[in-house]
Amino acid sequence: MASRVPRLDSVLGRVRLPRRPSALTAKTLSDSVARLSPVALVANPVMFVVELTFFVVAAMAVDPYAFVPAASPAERVFYVQVAAILLVTVWFSTLSDSLAEQQAKNTASSLRRLETEVPVKKVVTEGWERKVVPATSKSLLKGDLVMLDKGDVVPTDGDVLEGIAMVDESLVTGESAPVRKSPGDSLIGGSTVVSDTMTARITANPGESYLDQMVRLVESSKRPKTPNEAAITMVLFGLTGIFTIIILSMLGLSVELGLNTDLSVLIALYVCLLPTTIGALLPAIGLSGITRLYERKVVAKSGRAIETAGDTDVILLDKTGTITVGNRHVVEIIPMGGHTERDVGEAAFLSSWFDDTPEGRSVISVAYERGYVPRELNSLSLSEVYDFSANTRTSGVKIHFGSSFVLPKGSMQRVRRKFFVEDASDRGMHLSGEESEIVKGAPDSFLKVGFSVPEEFPGLVEKISSAGDTPMAVARDHQVIGLIRLRDVLKDGTKEKIDAVKAMGIRPVMITGDQPLTAKSIASEVGIDEFIPQAKPEDKFNIVKKEQAQTRVVSMIGDGTNDAPALAAADVGLAMNSGTEAAKEAANMVDLESNPAKIIDVVLLGKQLLMTRGAVTAFSISNDVAKYFAILPVMFAATLPALHSLNILGLGVHTAVLSALIFNAVIIPLLIPLAMRGVAFRPSDTMTLFLRNVLIYGVGGVIVPFVGIKLIDVLLGAL
Amino acid sequence: MIDALQAFVVVAVLGAALGSGWALAPYVARVLAGSPTFLDRLLGPLEKRTYRLIGTDPSSGMGWKQYFFAALLLNVAQMAIAFLVLVGQGALPLNPQGFPGMNWELAFNTVVSFASNTNLQHYAGESTLSYFSQMGAIQFLQFTSAATGVCVMAAMVRGFKRGSANMGNFYVDFVRVVSRILLPLCLVAAVVMVALGVPQTLGGYITVKTVEGATQRLLVGPVASLVSIMQIGTNGGGYFGANSAYPFQNPTPITDILQIYLMLLLPTTLVFAFGELVGKKRETLPILIASYGLLAIDLMIAFIPSMAAVGPGIEARFGAFFSTFWTVVTTAVTTGSVNSSLAGNNPLAILSAFMGMVIQATPGGEGVGIMYMIMYIVITVFVVGLMTGRTPEYLGAKINARDVKLVMVAFLIHPVIILVPTVLAYATKAVNAIPGFSSLPTSVGFTQILYEFTSSAANNGSDFLGAAANTPFFNVATAVVIFVGRFAPIMVLLALSGSMIGRRRSESQTLRTDSGSFSLVLTGSIVLLAVLTFLPFLMLGPILTYFQGLVNFLG
Repeated sequence: MASRVPRLDSVLGRVRLPRRPSALTAKTLSDSVARLSPVALVANPVMFVVELTFFVVAAMAVDPYAFVPAASPAERVFYVQVAAILLVTVWFSTLSDSLAEQQAKNTASSLRRLETEVPVKKVVTEGWERKVVPATSKSLLKGDLVMLDKGDVVPTDGDVLEGIAMVDESLVTGESAPVRKSPGDSLIGGSTVVSDTMTARITANPGESYLDQMVRLVESSKRPKTPNEAAITMVLFGLTGIFTIIILSMLGLSVELGLNTDLSVLIALYVCLLPTTIGALLPAIGLSGITRLYERKVVAKSGRAIETAGDTDVILLDKTGTITVGNRHVVEIIPMGGHTERDVGEAAFLSSWFDDTPEGRSVISVAYERGYVPRELNSLSLSEVYDFSANTRTSGVKIHFGSSFVLPKGSMQRVRRKFFVEDASDRGMHLSGEESEIVKGAPDSFLKVGFSVPEEFPGLVEKISSAGDTPMAVARDHQVIGLIRLRDVLKDGTKEKIDAVKAMGIRPVMITGDQPLTAKSIASEVGIDEFIPQAKPEDKFNIVKKEQAQTRVVSMIGDGTNDAPALAAADVGLAMNSGTEAAKEAANMVDLESNPAKIIDVVLLGKQLLMTRGAVTAFSISNDVAKYFAILPVMFAATLPALHSLNILGLGVHTAVLSALIFNAVIIPLLIPLAMRGVAFRPSDTMTLFLRNVLIYGVGGVIVPFVGIKLIDVLLGAL
Repeated sequence: MIDALQAFVVVAVLGAALGSGWALAPYVARVLAGSPTFLDRLLGPLEKRTYRLIGTDPSSGMGWKQYFFAALLLNVAQMAIAFLVLVGQGALPLNPQGFPGMNWELAFNTVVSFASNTNLQHYAGESTLSYFSQMGAIQFLQFTSAATGVCVMAAMVRGFKRGSANMGNFYVDFVRVVSRILLPLCLVAAVVMVALGVPQTLGGYITVKTVEGATQRLLVGPVASLVSIMQIGTNGGGYFGANSAYPFQNPTPITDILQIYLMLLLPTTLVFAFGELVGKKRETLPILIASYGLLAIDLMIAFIPSMAAVGPGIEARFGAFFSTFWTVVTTAVTTGSVNSSLAGNNPLAILSAFMGMVIQATPGGEGVGIMYMIMYIVITVFVVGLMTGRTPEYLGAKINARDVKLVMVAFLIHPVIILVPTVLAYATKAVNAIPGFSSLPTSVGFTQILYEFTSSAANNGSDFLGAAANTPFFNVATAVVIFVGRFAPIMVLLALSGSMIGRRRSESQTLRTDSGSFSLVLTGSIVLLAVLTFLPFLMLGPILTYFQGLVNFLG
C-alpha cells in the first residue's frame, strides 16, 4: 500500500464522553481490598496461588523456628519483606480488576442516565376506554403502554405507537440535537421528551434493556469467559502446574542434596516464574475491551461478540450511512425527448411528494427552489401512492384529477412545514376526469417494464453513473421524460477507516441499491474493490451465507426487519438503535448512535482487544528468563558458590530475590494503563503486526526485566 | 573448539541427512498416503489376505481413540511376546552361548524400553541375550516401535490436514511403514555395514589366539542387521553393552559417520514428509528451521568449551570430537545409542544432550519428534497469534481452549515423570544401591540420576548407569516413566489432532506459519518453554559440574 495507514487512535478518532469520573476512588480501593479474600480469588488461579504463598511466608515471618531447616530465624526481616511484596502483588491484581470494573461501570452509567425509578403514566385499557394510571418505571413489562409528555423521561426501551415528538437522547448517545420520533421509531430508556406528546409501547422487561445488559456484562462475576480468555486461562493453569512441580521438586532436592535453600527464596522464585502479569491483568483487559465499545456508544450483548469482531474476514458495509452521509442531493435536472426542465421538475416534485427519503426531500426542495411547483399539487390528496418497492425500485403516484380541490389537513401541514407555501390551494388546477401516472426510480427499472424511452437515455444514464452520481429517471404516463442527477456526499474519515481494515487483511464489501456504474465509482473513490450493486435487502443474507460457506467470518450492520435474518446469521451483527426491534434482537451488538460506520470501529477494537491479551501473555512468559538469571545463582550462593558465574546481572546476594519480586509486582500497575487502553498499533497486515509485536512484547519481554531488576537492585543496594 | 575438518564432517553429515531426507520424503509420504509403491506387486496379495484374516477393512478409517487403542494394544501384545522370549530364552533355539532366561523385572524393563523406542538397557547384550532374543525380542521391537512412531505421527498429521475425514487405519499404516520403509532401508544399511566390517552371523562366539599369544573370545552374532534398525529406527539399543563404542558394532570412523547419518535419516525425512502429508509443502519450513536450528545450537554448546573433553570412557579410537558429535545427535533424535561412555563427555556436551531430550523435536524420535513439534507450533501460534489481533489459527483451524488444554497436559507430562522420580530416587535412598554412587560429587551424581529419567521420559535410552541401574527401583521406575513418557503424550496429541477433523477451516490463514519469521519465533519459544522448565535442574547438574571444573566419570 502506497500510503501509510495512521495509528489506530487517529483512525478511530478521539472519543468524547459526557463525563467520566476518575476510576481511582476510595470505593475502588476498598473494593480492591475486599477482593483479596481467598474466596473471591479462586476464579483467578495464578493469584490464588500467590496468595497461598503469602500465607506461607507470613507464617515463616511469624514463627521461623517452625520451618527450620527450610527457614532461618535470622532472616525474619527478609520474610516480612517477601510476604509484604507477595501481598502487594495480589493487591495490584485486584486493584486492576477494581479499576477496570469501575471504569466500565462509570462509562455504562454515564450512558445510562436512569438508574433510579421514575414515575410513569401507564396507559391501561378498560373495556373500550383507555385510562392513564400512575406507575413506576420498574413495574413496566414488555408490551405495556405509556404516555410521554414534554419533560418526561423515557422509562425504558420502547417504540413509538402514536404521536410525534422531539426527544433529547444526548445523555445516551451524545448527540446534542433533539431527534424527531414518529410511530415505529425506537426510544432509548433514559432519553427525555422535549416537545409534544406520544404513546410508547415498552419493548423490554425490567432488567432486559440494552443498558441493563450492558451493566450486567461488566460485573465480572457474571461475565462468562470468552473463548480466547478460556484458552489463555488454560495456558495459565498449565504454567502454574509446571512451575508448581518445578518448585516442589527443587524443595525436595534441596533437602535431599543438602543444599539448604531457604523456603522463602524458593517461593520467591515460584511467584516470579508464575505468569502473574497476565494472570493479574487478564480480567481487566477483557473489561476494558467492553468499555472501549461503550465509549463509542456501542452495546455488545456479550464479550464473545467483541472477540469475534476481531476475527472478521469480510465486512459488509451499507453504502448509505457508512460510506456516504445518506443525503443524496439533486444536482441537475436533465430533460429528454423534447420535454423541458420544468416538465421534469414538476413531475419529479409530484412523484416525490409522498417520498420521505433523503432523495425525495431533496427533489422537492430543489424543484421548489427552481420554481417547479406543479399545479396538480392539490389533486395529490386523492392520488394513489406507489410506495418505493425494493423489487421494482421505483415509487410514484397516480393522480386523479378533478376529484377534489381540498388538500387534506396533514398534507397541508407538511407543505407548510417544509416550504412555507403560503396558499397552495390558490394555485391548484383541476382537470376533471383524467388521471396521470408519474413514476420515478432506477433507470433500468423502466426498461424492464417497457416504458418508452428517448434515444439519448442509455448514454446519459451511463455518463451520470460513471461519474459516480446516481441517475434517477422520471416517467410520466409510461414515458420517460427526463433524468435527475443525484450526488452522494462521502462521509468524513470513512476512507481512512476503510484503508485501515484493508491494511489488516479484511475485505470490505460495499452493499448498495445503486446501479453498477454508480456503485463502482463510489466504491473506487473510497478504495473498495468489491461491491454488490442493486442489492435487495434479502441479498445481505445470501452474501453472509455465501461468505460463511467459504469459512469466512462476516461482520455487518443492519437496521430494518428485512435485515434481521442476515444480522442473526452474521458472525458479528451490529444493529442500529434507530432500527426495528427485530433487527436489534437478531444482532449481537447495538449502536446507540445508529451510525453504520461504527462496524469498522467495532472490528478494529476487537482486534485491539485480542492483541492486548496476546501481548501481555507473551510479555509475561518472556519475563521468566531474566527472573531465572536473577534468582537461581544467588539461591545456592552459600552452598554452591560455583554457580556465581551465572550471576550475569551482578546482583547483590541479598537484594537479588527482592529485586526480582519487586519487579514482578510493580510491572502489574505499570501495565494497567496498557491493559485498559489496549496496545497501540498501526493497522497493517498480519505478518507486520506479528513481527512488530513479537519484537516489542516477546523480545522486549526478555530484555525489560533484566534492566528493571538491575535498576531495582541498584536502588535497594543504595538504601 | 573443533577444527575445520571436524566442522566439515559435521556440516557434511547434517547436509547428507537433509539431502537424502528431502529426496526420500515424497516416497515416504506416498507410503503413508496409501499411494501405490514399487513393492505393491510383491506384497499386495499377502497383505490383502492378512487384513482379511485379522478382520480389518483396510479402506475404513479410524477416529483418534480407535487409532490410539489399536496402536497401544498391538504394542502391548508385542511386549508380551518379547517378554516371553526373553524370560524363556534358555529353552529357545539359537542360543549357542547357553544364556539362561532373564529375570522378570529386568525383562519387563527391557520390553517396555524397546517397545517404546527407548532402548534403555540395564543389561549387556553380549553376556545376557541369545541370538534368538536379539532378533526375536530386541530387533523385533525395534522395528515395531519405530513403525508405531511413524504411524501415530501420520495419524496426527491427518487430523491437522484440511478435509481429512479420519485419522487413517492403524493396521494398514503399520504394515506399510514396516514393509515399505523400514525393511528396505535396513536391508541396504545392513549390507553396507557388513561390507564395512560389522559382523552378521548366527555362528557362536569365536575364540582366537592373538599375535601376542593370548587367547581372546570374539563376540559376534547378527550385529549388522540389529545396528541398522537400531539407528534408522532411532531405537539406540545396541547389540553389545558398550553399544557403538564396541569395535564390532562400530569398527571404523566411516561406520561411525554412517551411523550418525543413519540416526538422522528418517527423522529428517519425516520433517520433509510432514509438508507433503499435510498438503502444504511449505509448512515443513518452521519444523525444519526449528529442529535443525536447535540441533546446531546444541552442537555449538557441546563443541565450544575449551576444557579437555576426554575422560575415562571416551572413545579412544575416534577421539573426543566423534564422541561429542555422536552424543549430541543421539539425544537430538532420541536414539540413545552411544559410541562412548557418557561419563567421559564434557559436562556441556551432556547439557546439549539434556536439551535434545527435553525438547524431543530436534528433529526428535521417529514420528514423535514431529508430533512434539506440532505441539510447540500450536502453543506458539496461540500466544503470538493473538498478538496479530485474531483468534490464532494453525492450518486454518482456530485454536480453542480445549486444544490449549491438551497441549498444556502434554507439556506437563514431561516435568512430572522426570522430576518426581528423580526426587523419589533420592528420597527413597534408591540411589545408594548404585555401586559407587556415594563417592560421586553431588553435581555429577545428580546429573546421572536426572539423566536416567530424562532419557527414559524422552524415550532416548542412553544412560550413565547402564547395568548399574539393574536394581528393582530403577527397573520398575524407569519402565513406568518410559511407558507413560511414550504413550501418554501420544494419546494426548492424537486427541488434539482428532478434534481438528471436521473443524471449520478458514481458507486463508493470515499468520503465515510457513514463513521464516515464524520459524525463528517458534525456535525461540521452544527454548523458552522447554528449556526454562528444566533450567534449575540443569543448573544443579551439568552446568554446576562445568563451573566446578569436574567431569562426569563414574566413580
